[in-house]
Amino acid sequence: MNRSKSVATALASVVLGGAALALAGFALASNTPHQKTLQCVTDATQANTCNLTFSTFPDSLAGQHGATGGPHPDWVSYSNQAMEVPANTTVNVTIKQYDSGGALNNYFFDQVMGTIGGTATVNGVTVTHVDPTNIGHTFTLRGIPGSGSSLFVSVPLPADSKGGTVKIGAGVYTAPNIIKFSFKTGSKGVYEWNCEFPCGGSRQGQFGEAMSTYGYMSGTLTVK
Amino acid sequence: MATNKKYSLAGFYWLWFTLTVVGVIISIWAPGYLMPMSMSSNMHLTILTMVVFSVAAAPVAAGVYAATAYLLRHNVYRGDSVPPAAKDQTRENARLTIGWILASTVLTVFLLIWGLGALSVDNGGNEANPLVVNVTGQQWLWSFSYAGTHVQSNTLVLPENREVVFHITSKDVTHGFWIAQMGIQVDANVGTVTELHTTPNKLGTFDIRCTQFCGLNHAFMVTQGQVMTTQGFDNWLAAQPQRA
Repeated sequence: MNRSKSVATALASVVLGGAALALAGFALASNTPHQKTLQCVTDATQANTCNLTFSTFPDSLAGQHGATGGPHPDWVSYSNQAMEVPANTTVNVTIKQYDSGGALNNYFFDQVMGTIGGTATVNGVTVTHVDPTNIGHTFTLRGIPGSGSSLFVSVPLPADSKGGTVKIGAGVYTAPNIIKFSFKTGSKGVYEWNCEFPCGGSRQGQFGEAMSTYGYMSGTLTVK
Repeated sequence: MATNKKYSLAGFYWLWFTLTVVGVIISIWAPGYLMPMSMSSNMHLTILTMVVFSVAAAPVAAGVYAATAYLLRHNVYRGDSVPPAAKDQTRENARLTIGWILASTVLTVFLLIWGLGALSVDNGGNEANPLVVNVTGQQWLWSFSYAGTHVQSNTLVLPENREVVFHITSKDVTHGFWIAQMGIQVDANVGTVTELHTTPNKLGTFDIRCTQFCGLNHAFMVTQGQVMTTQGFDNWLAAQPQRA
């Protein structure tokens, strides 16, 4: 094989390899569900304040994955993955927690951290921390490395309200615990949130499945 | 062309010497730009070790590069047919062999002694009243508690010029506790507490990163720490909520 033929073959290999990779990436991106972003609703009664409401479920039948529950209908899930809030604003968060739970493997996460006043309310009762042996999930929000943001909010979401059942979409759930808290956003940026209760199953530490797949127990909060 | 002609080794020696000088200069100059800023005695020792080892390796690397260049210059066969057998192959050279073994032995023994000494300094604690910080890794956040207090935090705050003893563990999978600016890195293992000593000696902020791939949000398992004055640290500690 002469020199120019060798060079052409090498170039063709690189181009074809790159095209194959691009095709695979495109196919993967096309199959990834794109959920609608949950917007923080401006509070008409208070200046620079908005309200953000979402839920946690013991399955994926009532939230962002639709009535069929998507590819893993039995996996625990948050109702929303992508959220958007304004910069320099007080965000009032309401989380309806429908899931059962158990003990945290790290009691650090039984504390309410980073909220206004360092408190949250659980079914109307103000708390600074909750029973670490009865946690459904946590909502833990932090800055993405390199973004220069230091926002950190972590709120435990107690399990088992013991208050009857409700039907949402295709799912029937125990009545939720209602957890409310507020925090202040700073400058614009993208933040990451996830659950710190080991609710994913399958792997050591119970952080597999729903905990190790985007779209279930983690997401982003964009401050705009 | 056939390569049976003998060449003077003077060019090789000059190239070896020149590359060694360049290597030594780079070894002394580069770590200051490539390594993170030193904020502890451990990191100072790490940078010094990097410089010393690089300087020691410079003549070896330079010798390899010089020999490669010299041989490529003089001993490459460029003909179309099978090359003829060389007539002057050097199959044995006792002086070269002994010299090479001696140089290798001296270098490796030196590196071993230096490394053991550095390890001993890294692991040694000599302060009577060190600050003990319990470090817990969990997918995907570090948490810290201060022994003798009820303070827990997601950020690591340390006092300047006081020995710190880290007790490091994990709640789920193996994580890697790494503070680049302090020259410390160790695995955080489930069910095991690993002890690590350092003495912060520069005020400022530093990054704590996980160095073991630990799952979905491993890339986000980064938090910031700060070295404060003793008074600043005491004030910070007093202002933290006390866990019951």
